[in-house]
Amino acid sequence: MKPLVLVACLLMGLSAHAADLVKDVRARLVDAPLVRGKFEQKKTVAGFKKPLVSKGDFLLARDQGVLWNTRTPFASTLTLTRKSLSAEQGAGGAAYHLDSTKEPALAAMNELLFALLAGDVATLQQRFKVEGALVGPTGWKLELTPTDAGLARVFKHIRMEGDGYVRQVHLEETRGDSSVILFDALAQTPPPDATEAGRLGK
Amino acid sequence: MANRLAILWALVVLAVGVHQVSFWRGAHLDTDVLALLPEDEQAPEVDAATRRLADEAGRQVVLLVGAKDWTAAQQAADAATQALGQSGDVLEPAVVDTSALDQAVDFYRPYRDRLLTPSQRQWLTRATPDELGGTALMKLYQPAGAQLTDWNVDPLGLWPDWWQARAAETSARPRDGRLWLSGEGREWVLLTWKSKVSAFALGDGARVTAAVERARSRVETAVPGGRLVAAGVPLYAEAAAAQASWEMSTIGFGSLAAVLLLVWLTFRSLRPILLVGVSLLLGCAVALTVTALLFDRVHLLTLVFGSSLVGVAEDYGFHYFAARQGKAPSERGPVMRSLLPGMALALITSVVAYLALGVAPFPGLRQMAVFSAAGLTAAFLTVVCWFPSLDRGALPVTAFSERFSASITRWPRVTSTRGWWLTGAGLAVLVAVGLFRLKPQDDLRQLQGAPPNLIADQRELGRLLGLPSPAQFFLVEGDSDEQVLAREAALKQRLDPLVTQKVFAGYRAVSDWLPSEAQQREDAALSARAEAQAVAAVAASTGEAPTRAAFAQTPLTPSRFLAGPAASAIRQQWLGTLGARQYSVLMLRGLNDPKVLPRLEAVAQGLEGIRWVDKTAEISGLLGRYRRIMGGLIAAGYIAVLLTLMARFGRQAWRAWLPSVLGTLLTLALFGWVGAPLQLFTVLGLVLLLGMGVDYGIFLLEHPGDGSAWLAVALAGVSTLLSFGLLALSATPALRSFGLAMLLGEVTIWILTPCFRLPTRKATP
Repeated sequence: MKPLVLVACLLMGLSAHAADLVKDVRARLVDAPLVRGKFEQKKTVAGFKKPLVSKGDFLLARDQGVLWNTRTPFASTLTLTRKSLSAEQGAGGAAYHLDSTKEPALAAMNELLFALLAGDVATLQQRFKVEGALVGPTGWKLELTPTDAGLARVFKHIRMEGDGYVRQVHLEETRGDSSVILFDALAQTPPPDATEAGRLGK
Repeated sequence: MANRLAILWALVVLAVGVHQVSFWRGAHLDTDVLALLPEDEQAPEVDAATRRLADEAGRQVVLLVGAKDWTAAQQAADAATQALGQSGDVLEPAVVDTSALDQAVDFYRPYRDRLLTPSQRQWLTRATPDELGGTALMKLYQPAGAQLTDWNVDPLGLWPDWWQARAAETSARPRDGRLWLSGEGREWVLLTWKSKVSAFALGDGARVTAAVERARSRVETAVPGGRLVAAGVPLYAEAAAAQASWEMSTIGFGSLAAVLLLVWLTFRSLRPILLVGVSLLLGCAVALTVTALLFDRVHLLTLVFGSSLVGVAEDYGFHYFAARQGKAPSERGPVMRSLLPGMALALITSVVAYLALGVAPFPGLRQMAVFSAAGLTAAFLTVVCWFPSLDRGALPVTAFSERFSASITRWPRVTSTRGWWLTGAGLAVLVAVGLFRLKPQDDLRQLQGAPPNLIADQRELGRLLGLPSPAQFFLVEGDSDEQVLAREAALKQRLDPLVTQKVFAGYRAVSDWLPSEAQQREDAALSARAEAQAVAAVAASTGEAPTRAAFAQTPLTPSRFLAGPAASAIRQQWLGTLGARQYSVLMLRGLNDPKVLPRLEAVAQGLEGIRWVDKTAEISGLLGRYRRIMGGLIAAGYIAVLLTLMARFGRQAWRAWLPSVLGTLLTLALFGWVGAPLQLFTVLGLVLLLGMGVDYGIFLLEHPGDGSAWLAVALAGVSTLLSFGLLALSATPALRSFGLAMLLGEVTIWILTPCFRLPTRKATP
């Protein structure tokens, strides 16, 4: 009964400031059931002098999940669904799989990643204080601050930028590490092929 | 001589009075059902383990608030919390320290390298350098994740899994700032409260229960389909106290009123009422004092059982007044002297019977035996020492007692006629069939008198939360802490396949939180080797030179662990030193099917220092064994009583003896006919019956043709019957069965005894 799940302490907080900003940002975002594109991630990690850069492509299927395919510096795939998180590395045979149906903490983490990639401000608003501004005729910028202790244990701030799509996410972790993810070549087609559908169906 | 005895007894009574005052000031009453259970003389460590596990719960009240969906469940939980908060004088929320988790993580961080789950151990042993390197890279490049620590402290991301495995020991998970679990068609919020009321007192009112019930009704109105399940020692204690005080007053005052009414009807004088009342009062007071002096704590059930004493201890007073009625005050001494042999014999048989109850090693039963024997003796002494001096003045024969005394001549008397032989034969058939249908039952539940709704709640809560069973566990023993932990590890290796096969859900072991030093060394070496390969692969891939962090030089020792913030989760399973050896308990979760118990028992075989403990089976076995032993004791007792009676009454002894034998057989047959099970406590009732039933025969043989003896027997019979009959109302199945056996036996013996009286012509000597 002791609150032992560490991973788990990332949730909670139900602040509902239905600010106009949120409404405006949502209006500017494209309401797409599917988004594909390329990403470039720069991760700054303690113990590494230079940022760790990885590139690849991704697919976000609403209500199904995210496929995150890293191409460089090495090939690996990450599959995130409502039920699980699994990762595989093509060459070395390394793989792991986590079931999130029984662990709300992991499910919440998945939900957070979905929301960040999809720009689902309404969901984010449940767990963060949302501040920001509209930029130009089509753009926007948001800064998210966790509203509860559990999430604050992991993230100091999350910054997002975008227009019709989310273009950039900047994650600042409490312990000092940080990542910047840039999105590019975003499109709503083609639909998932057989392999992709298979992975999402897991 | 008589006066000196009276003064001596008065001094004893005075001492008892002084003790009573101090006793009721700081009443040490016990409600714990466990206190009734037998001690295990061969294995005190098993007792220590059981008690430790029971104490863990202490004052906690655990509640699950459930509803159809999570939002409704949260609403319901808020309603419950609000309702409970209104009872701030009896309940407080158990402090959920959010920093405890951070503290535990910080505490364990220097030892991270030697904390591995079994599957991690397997994986690290067989993983190739490529696989290790690949995994480290994937986790390093993963978009975001909840790490517990910096990358260089845990390059393979092993630690969250270890914590996950620890968390799996309960099914509750943090969700939206609450503890959540899902099961049986509902989403639940776990709430933990603590009772502020430490010692409970009789008649204090069930305040914790009332608060929980308020919360329950609030939950049910707050959301449709809302439900609250609560369990905790305070709830049981309150239910036990409420029940006991109701039963004590029903049985005690019920039989007291009946006794006094009978005395009034028979003697129409205040003096007998007062004196019989005094003998009963002193009987109860002395009984309580002796019990409190011999045992640390007096159990509530002792008092419940003890209230039936009122109906038995009045016998001596009745006999005296029945014999004394209509005689001159100067004859008091001779009357008492003529009664003394019969009364003493009756007292001895009753006391021996009561003490025979204490043969079984049940502390509760021993208390009841001591209580009753002491009370009976005190009432006897009061009558013998005080009544002749205090009972001055005339006591005329009343019309009621005259009519009743004469009724003995009209009571049917068994003679050697055809009709009686036929009746006897018919009865023999009925008894034989009844005995044949008798089914023994040695279930532990007969000791449990808690309200069924409490038990149902407790079960549901245990099922939903996946709480470990407090009655079945493994006891691990060793010369040192290290050996205990190593033996636990050996046991876990054998249990893991059973968990995989879903024979039971899992276990909780100290060695999961505190591995043995050998295991720590082994795991530290394993993770050092694997993580060095992983770091090297990352270095090669990134072109940088990351280093693996340094960990503690010395292993995590039991003393350091126990002083740390993580120990509270598991402390009650670490028994420490008992005698010269170390002990720990390995608990099992999700043990719902009794059929799997033999498989678990088999696991311990061949493992040194591991003992499988099944308290339920052990106690049931003990109940059964003593049911048979006491059954044998009854048979032996009847033979001994027959010999004793023959020594005094010669060839007529059977007349006092046979009614009790028949009464016992008829009672058993009735149990068989109505399908009531034969339990240890039924048999114990019959033991007592042996001691008391014979009394009536003794008095009738001792004073043949004397109507006053019959009057006394009749009065005694009616009041005894009433008090034990009232005991049959008890909520504790054991006492109920006991009371029922006594009730049926008493009635039949009471009816049969005069049937076997001496023929009238022999009666006049």
